[in-house]
Amino acid sequence: MSKPLDGLRVIDLTQVFAGPTCTRILADLGAEVIRLESPNRVDITRNLIHTDNDGKDVPWERTLYFCIRNAGKKEVVLDLAQPRGLELLRRIIAESDVLAESFTPRVMRAFELDYEHVRQIKPDIVMISLSGYGQDGPLSDWAAYGMGLEPASGVSQLTGYVGGPPVRSGLSFTDPYSGFIGAGAVLAALHYRRRTGKGQYIDLSEQEAAVPLVGGALTDYAMNGRLPERIGNRSRWAAPQGCYRCSGDDDWIVISIESDDEWAAFCDAAGHSDWAADKRFATVDGRLEHHDELDTLIESWTNGQEHYEAFHLLQKAGVKAAPVLNGKEALLDAQFKARGQFEIIDQPHQGKRPVQRHLAAKFSAFDADVAGPAPTLGQHNEEILGGLLGLDADELAALEEQGVIATKPNLPFPAELVSAALKLPYDGFLENGTLLALEDDYQKQLGLE
Amino acid sequence: MAEQALSDLRIVDLSQRIAGPYCTKLFADMGADVVKVEPPQGDVSRTMGPFPDDEADPERSGLFLHLNTGKKSVTLDAGRMPGLALVKKLLATADVFVESSGPAVMAALGLGYEDLKSEFPNLVYVSITPFGHTGPYKDYAGNSITAMAMSTIMYNTGDPDREPLTTGGAPAEYIAGIHAWIGALSALAYREKESAGQLVEVAMADAAACADEYNAAMYGFQGAIRRRFYSRHVFGYPMDIMACKDGHIVVIPGAAGFPQRGLPQDGAVSPMALLMGNIEMDQQPLFQSGQERMIRWREVDELLQPWLDEHTKEEIVELAQALRMPFAHVPTVQDLVESEHLQARRFFQKIGHPRAGELTYAGHPFRMSETPAELSCAPTLGEHNSELADE
Repeated sequence: MSKPLDGLRVIDLTQVFAGPTCTRILADLGAEVIRLESPNRVDITRNLIHTDNDGKDVPWERTLYFCIRNAGKKEVVLDLAQPRGLELLRRIIAESDVLAESFTPRVMRAFELDYEHVRQIKPDIVMISLSGYGQDGPLSDWAAYGMGLEPASGVSQLTGYVGGPPVRSGLSFTDPYSGFIGAGAVLAALHYRRRTGKGQYIDLSEQEAAVPLVGGALTDYAMNGRLPERIGNRSRWAAPQGCYRCSGDDDWIVISIESDDEWAAFCDAAGHSDWAADKRFATVDGRLEHHDELDTLIESWTNGQEHYEAFHLLQKAGVKAAPVLNGKEALLDAQFKARGQFEIIDQPHQGKRPVQRHLAAKFSAFDADVAGPAPTLGQHNEEILGGLLGLDADELAALEEQGVIATKPNLPFPAELVSAALKLPYDGFLENGTLLALEDDYQKQLGLE
Repeated sequence: MAEQALSDLRIVDLSQRIAGPYCTKLFADMGADVVKVEPPQGDVSRTMGPFPDDEADPERSGLFLHLNTGKKSVTLDAGRMPGLALVKKLLATADVFVESSGPAVMAALGLGYEDLKSEFPNLVYVSITPFGHTGPYKDYAGNSITAMAMSTIMYNTGDPDREPLTTGGAPAEYIAGIHAWIGALSALAYREKESAGQLVEVAMADAAACADEYNAAMYGFQGAIRRRFYSRHVFGYPMDIMACKDGHIVVIPGAAGFPQRGLPQDGAVSPMALLMGNIEMDQQPLFQSGQERMIRWREVDELLQPWLDEHTKEEIVELAQALRMPFAHVPTVQDLVESEHLQARRFFQKIGHPRAGELTYAGHPFRMSETPAELSCAPTLGEHNSELADE
């Protein structure tokens, strides 16, 4: 099966979440993505959330976070602090079509690997920098983590309970969002390159990338000088819409009614012709005005319903609804199963594991499926440095001896101590409610055994 | 005008609301010729507002103006014969077709993928639906909040003792639009190799689920079911929006913000202690153990909040950044428009419109060195009817 980016090589200097999301999509589309890590400073997600909460004697090979985002990529480990390491990277760049990086801007300048230098190595390269605040402007050198950039983009001011403070989403939301945008940006630049032979540089500021999400609020401010209030789960133009408690421990359903017909269908499905007959609720304006009261009525019905059953009941009646899924429910959901949202990889040191798709598009002529497990540290040193650059076995052995290349990180402590220090406090999390449950037989439940 | 990256493409766009129009906006702002085919009453987003002085006007809906920059508008009734013929005439010149009504409606119009693929074998046919063309929920309806519910993100957002919260700004619509744009560009790359068009279908629920950070993985790799806990990450505290003297900021000490036991910088004063101007803080047990901070977070708040309450957003974030900690602001849209940084980067665009006047719009989500994006105003309803009829 041919994929659209077959034969394209990407050198990937990104870390953590946004950049690896971008390059994971390129890998799923057929590109050969070569990750670069340093033995002294591995990707911090190689230290984040271990399988079975135990890194054992190879903590850098047992983190779920790293695996899901880097599945299907290759990896070279080079110490860029040594001139020989930097030189080898420059030689890989010379053989690449795309360079992706996500350092703060001064880092690539310090390596003399900013675009002006990179284009001298490979004139038609497409280079993308994913950074927190962009490559220029007064904040360009600010330190940035994903959890700060959703707020910085303005989205958090629109998120929150009515009357409450601004809220972050329960993930570093603009990271995957920017990664998606970045993948499209690279594809657009490649389209231009196919047409003209010219490469170019893409400056993606994660803060800016997500500002279009608040585009409606921006026009409201421009037209009316008005700032939006936080409206929880409600809609600004239709009612009722909300998230309602169902039977069960912590089960919820979302219901979104956007027309008079849907309102009538909902009342019918819920067995409440009295609500349909109530004149206060007959129009959108009336339903918006009496939203609090509607919420109470609707929840009096959902309280006795199982969330999946109510979902099917309402959808079959023509009402927009969805169960609010947790991670386990998503893995077991019939729709996600039918559409292959989670694929099984066989990951060294971890076994068979489900990884989510990173590109939702389904193609009739090919499948943008995952290309394989995530690479172990430096797994492809020999393949890339020997195969692509032509170094012989003696040279590779010398590089390993000098610590220019490696297949293990330089840790300050024994691996078991690192693993112990990185264990998350799951007993406390179960007690305070950060975790709903911890199930020993999960591999059996998921059919992974 | 500099040449643009996608200026060789024509897109015919039958989609409405947010996801499809955002997909085709990304094409239009990068130079593609996007022909928006609207029903006689216009795209639904022309009724969604916000409007100047809250007076509904299909030419002055903020959401429509934002999502349809740089497109042409033709009005026709695709369900009637002359309309159908005109759509097919447009498709003969198109590279990409985008729709968001779903396969049943499109087939009834005679515009389904199966109806068109033999007549237009090179066409990239993009379909955006709530749950997709396949699977047991394929006929179900939905929008951003239903997709966010399916994604696991919503379950993990909000207070532990309250209902899950969706993210503001209809994000799943935008994410679906972005995935449709990526899908269309991928299919165009495929077409150059294999000389064939194809169907690209995007489900909004799938697209939102692609953004999950580690909720499904925590179950698939650990058996752990994560649950909303003030939208907090499982791997560190604090990394959250907190109140200060004059508003809110994001407190993120980061990997090196607290004392680093046993590492080379051991013994140095931690950035958090420097921030608070109190080196004694490093002796606090809560400053010394990340695991303790996550469990005894209320005591962490008791340590930090009195200091935060005495300092302004500007003071705290500036000083934290000087100490290389990734603290951040929580701007409103007004703060964004007034931001010196975004002004220096010329991010926002002032664009005139014949009916809505000059407004400030969100800029393009990334910059391209050779082919910069160019935003121009959204079309009035049917503005290009005669131009396209004459083609």
